[in-house]
Amino acid sequence: MQISIDPKQLKRRERRDRMFVGYSYAAIFLAGAFLVFFFADIVRTAWSAFEQAELRVELHYNEEAKEMGDYALSEEMSYLVSRGVTRLIPNQMRENRSLLGTTQEKWVLADAEVDQYLKGKPNRLKKKERQLVDRLRDEGHARLAFNIGFFENGDSKLPEMAGIWAAAVGSMYVLIITFLFSFPLGVATAIYLEEFAPDNRFMQIIEVNINNLAAIPSILFGLLGLSIFINFMGVPRSSALAGGLTLSLMTLPVIIISTRAAILAIPDSIREGALALGATRWQMVLTNVLPLSLPGILTGTIIGLARAIGETAPLMIVGMMAYIPEAPDGFTSAATVLPAQIYTWSSDSLRAFTERTSAGIIVLLAVMLLMNGVAIYLRNKYETKW
Amino acid sequence: MPKFMKLLVAAAAIIALGSGMAQARDQVKIVGSSTVYPFSSYVAEELGATTKFKSPVVESTGSGGGHKLFGNGVGLNTPDITNSSRRMKASEFEKDQKVGITEITEALIGYDGIAIAQNGANAPFSITKAELALAVMEMVPVGGKLVKNPYKTWDQINAKLPKRKILFYGPPTSSGTRDAFAEMVIGKFAKKHKDLYAPISPKGKAKKYESVRQDGVYVPAGENDNLIVQKLTKDKAAFGIFGYSFLEENSDRISGAKVDGVSPTPDTIAAGEYPISRSLYFYIKKAHLDKVPGMKEYVELFMSEKMIGPRGLLKRIGLVPLANDLRKQVQKDVLSYKNLTLEDLKH
Amino acid sequence: METSKIFLYLFCGLIPLAVVAYFLATKKTYSVKFEGETFQSTPGSYGWYAIVCTLFPALLASFLAAILQLTGIVEVPGTALIATAIAIAAGGLWVALMTIKPSLRARAIVEQLIVKLLFVASLVSILTTVGIVLSVTFEAIKFFDMVSLWDFLTGTTWNPDEAVAGKDTQGVFGSIPLFAGTFMITGIAMLVAVPIGLFSAICMAEYASPTFRKIAKPALEILAGIPTVVYGFFAAITVSPMVVSAAEFFGIEADFTNALAPGLVMGVMIIPLISSLSDDVITSVPGSLREGSLAMGAYRSETIKTVVLPAALPGIVSAFLLAVSRAVGETMIVVMAAGLRANLTWNPLEGMTTVTVRIVDAFTGDQAFDSPETLSAFGLGLVLLVVTLILNVISLVVIRRFRQQYE
Repeated sequence: MQISIDPKQLKRRERRDRMFVGYSYAAIFLAGAFLVFFFADIVRTAWSAFEQAELRVELHYNEEAKEMGDYALSEEMSYLVSRGVTRLIPNQMRENRSLLGTTQEKWVLADAEVDQYLKGKPNRLKKKERQLVDRLRDEGHARLAFNIGFFENGDSKLPEMAGIWAAAVGSMYVLIITFLFSFPLGVATAIYLEEFAPDNRFMQIIEVNINNLAAIPSILFGLLGLSIFINFMGVPRSSALAGGLTLSLMTLPVIIISTRAAILAIPDSIREGALALGATRWQMVLTNVLPLSLPGILTGTIIGLARAIGETAPLMIVGMMAYIPEAPDGFTSAATVLPAQIYTWSSDSLRAFTERTSAGIIVLLAVMLLMNGVAIYLRNKYETKW
Repeated sequence: MPKFMKLLVAAAAIIALGSGMAQARDQVKIVGSSTVYPFSSYVAEELGATTKFKSPVVESTGSGGGHKLFGNGVGLNTPDITNSSRRMKASEFEKDQKVGITEITEALIGYDGIAIAQNGANAPFSITKAELALAVMEMVPVGGKLVKNPYKTWDQINAKLPKRKILFYGPPTSSGTRDAFAEMVIGKFAKKHKDLYAPISPKGKAKKYESVRQDGVYVPAGENDNLIVQKLTKDKAAFGIFGYSFLEENSDRISGAKVDGVSPTPDTIAAGEYPISRSLYFYIKKAHLDKVPGMKEYVELFMSEKMIGPRGLLKRIGLVPLANDLRKQVQKDVLSYKNLTLEDLKH
Repeated sequence: METSKIFLYLFCGLIPLAVVAYFLATKKTYSVKFEGETFQSTPGSYGWYAIVCTLFPALLASFLAAILQLTGIVEVPGTALIATAIAIAAGGLWVALMTIKPSLRARAIVEQLIVKLLFVASLVSILTTVGIVLSVTFEAIKFFDMVSLWDFLTGTTWNPDEAVAGKDTQGVFGSIPLFAGTFMITGIAMLVAVPIGLFSAICMAEYASPTFRKIAKPALEILAGIPTVVYGFFAAITVSPMVVSAAEFFGIEADFTNALAPGLVMGVMIIPLISSLSDDVITSVPGSLREGSLAMGAYRSETIKTVVLPAALPGIVSAFLLAVSRAVGETMIVVMAAGLRANLTWNPLEGMTTVTVRIVDAFTGDQAFDSPETLSAFGLGLVLLVVTLILNVISLVVIRRFRQQYE
């Protein structure tokens, strides 16, 4: 039989083929373009937050300053200097009596409005104040220094003093608790389901259940945390423990699913070999299956934890969206976490907080990228193809 | 064996770290209104920064949520202080008494005016409370009967007002500011026309009528949003409804309209001349005063002239201070921890 | 006594006892008394057996005591709890040591216990689901006492402070505008995510070189890892004004809290979900199908369009449903970028609100806790739970059928 190939049709098909390939690459590049755009935008807004304005002023430690720190400065300067500095002066004078009567020239933190003005952003300085700042700048008494306070301080109502330290420590505590609860439970469940569970109706229900849990909206876990952990079990509200427990329930399905996948990947020959040598089932799991699947388990856990560290909605309901300027010093003291801090700053009306929100986002993203990077590294290094 | 020992030691260490460090509570816990929240957290921060006490933890749960948490019991796992943008209700007081919270001190800290703000570059705008109500209510009287609000421009309400479209960005239904605004503007108007409104009001009481129009002229938005200010700068016709402190913080871009001929300023709000203003409170659980370090000091700091006085720090962030005599009386009562009684609330 | 102190003392008491138990037990297996007889298990197993006997009854007892305390049936003072637990532990240790003999199958006992413990661990996940369902339903029932279920599901007005004639409680709670908002934003998100996600998956599975895949896959995973609050911030601060300016360019007026901005950003967030799931499914379509099609003279793209994709369709549908379920339940992006106004409209440039935004608003708002408005959050939460559960179950069924087809 003669097969005739129509060259025009062939050409059309070839063109369509090439366009198809083009579409698929275009899709990936579109996603990549968004990623680049997103990072560029965040870095651009955040850049200015890493610098903070400082002024070189004369502090007169006089009698009035012992009561109200503002009096250590001339009146016009007292409006330009941050309140975070002036409120500490009475205490300093009380602790160091020799300060009384002296005058010192120091670089101190400037008020947020001065900071915004020096960065060229919209601000609320009055004309006279602007002129004063200009004069100071010309004299070399105003500068933008590296904002170490952002990393050292906790939250503050004064934007120039606000930092992420408290939130970072809180996030770490929450992460530890989440790991402590979800890792053993998750791995144990996965081991049971894969190695020991009989194949009956009940096990199927458990499996369906776990898959469902993985997709339940995070805010409902918050409701659970509120009613069971806080109301029923009496865990203190806003504590790292409450947040950690709630998040561990959320991370549990992720760990279970990835552990199961890791265990499934191990060929049966390894299992049978161990059993043939006389090991009991448990010994086989403990000495053969677990060590070999550990990289996969860790990868899944790290990814699950990375997701947990970025969660906000359930923690809102458990009370961690509060004003907590100091880092927690235990699992039961009130704490806040990085994403919650970002959210609170983004809803503050003072403009100076916008750049800090972006800076906080960069810190959070850096942590996530680090964690994801470690997970990917582990996966690449230890992934064995059976 | 060594492996297992390491595990045990690690477990013990973590437990010690967690539980050993957690002593009896050493931080004041405050919940309540989102309007009082900025002031409360300012004082909290000041306390933590200038004294050896840990900063109180301030949560913005809303007045209602705050009263509920406060009223959960008298134990140390309940909040010490609740902020409120409205007076405690008699029913809340009675519930508290039943749970064992028998001694409460009420602290009136100042006023908050509700401003009707517009783009700062606009010409000054002046309306009466009745006109404001007519612009915002769901049902308005036209020709002696109630109809769905038909007014789309201000000059339809009063020919002397400019032909400017009516558009409000105001607090959502979950906000205490909205409750206050609805009560003071809409409720009062309904009360004046009670024969018209009573049939469609809850419990038949016209003054409880608080329905705001749903046709898109009133757009609910968050209260402390940069978004509202952004909208007002772009849309010169729109008005924003929010607390005076927000107006003050953004005074370089927005200005408040005159209501009944009065501009919202700290003086007019404190004197009661500005017609849309409310009192701000916080409530103290006396049973915790000796058990939680820093609680007394927080109350004293808040009540000091440095904070709520006419040249105090809170004024700078928008709190309207009480008149001198009233303030001195309140300071005296609070610092002596006078007990709140049901009779006080019924006034 | 404080809970944390109880924990501390309990563990300080029990852990040394457990260690002692291990040592004593293993020592006993070496003891002269049993010389000549071979033990069933290794000495270590007896050690563990002793630990189990020491700890297990004590922990069980304290657990029961804790439950009794929490449910308020019996008041258990802290010191009594610790003392009893440690006493039980000591008793257990004694029993263990007494019962150690060569014929005792220690290893079997310990391992059976371990398996049972693993089973209990897997129950936690069921308890969690039950917990969520209960905690939401309990309060939701209170809500449906005040507002009829029918009105809730079919009403087109959501206005919590509208006075309803003849009723004491305020508010009209028709949830259709909220669900309309949710589905509008979800729809926009899907319009973005499905084409890009699917084509990315095709690219990575069929066309890309290994080096390309090495860069592209992590890049997509980064997209997946960005916290939702960050996406929300980005949507509110950058994307929203862009949409408004773009609309102005065309002469249309757009609200700052329009539905397009959160929809677009949510779509980007979902791309990795669809692409990685689809990637897995497409790769698992047997090569024989592909090769058969190519052998018949089809171009690569035609093979994909007519053979691979239809074969992978169940998996792709399942991925789609999971993505929809994720989008419906997403909270932070919409809280920060979408509006608060319940608005039933087809226009994505208008401000509208969604189910999750209202849930958050009800919890963080100023109204009284027992008011219908706060309880409405639970009602909405219940419907949200049911909807996502249904979507997930359908998705699971579909993918299970798919697996059966090819394995």
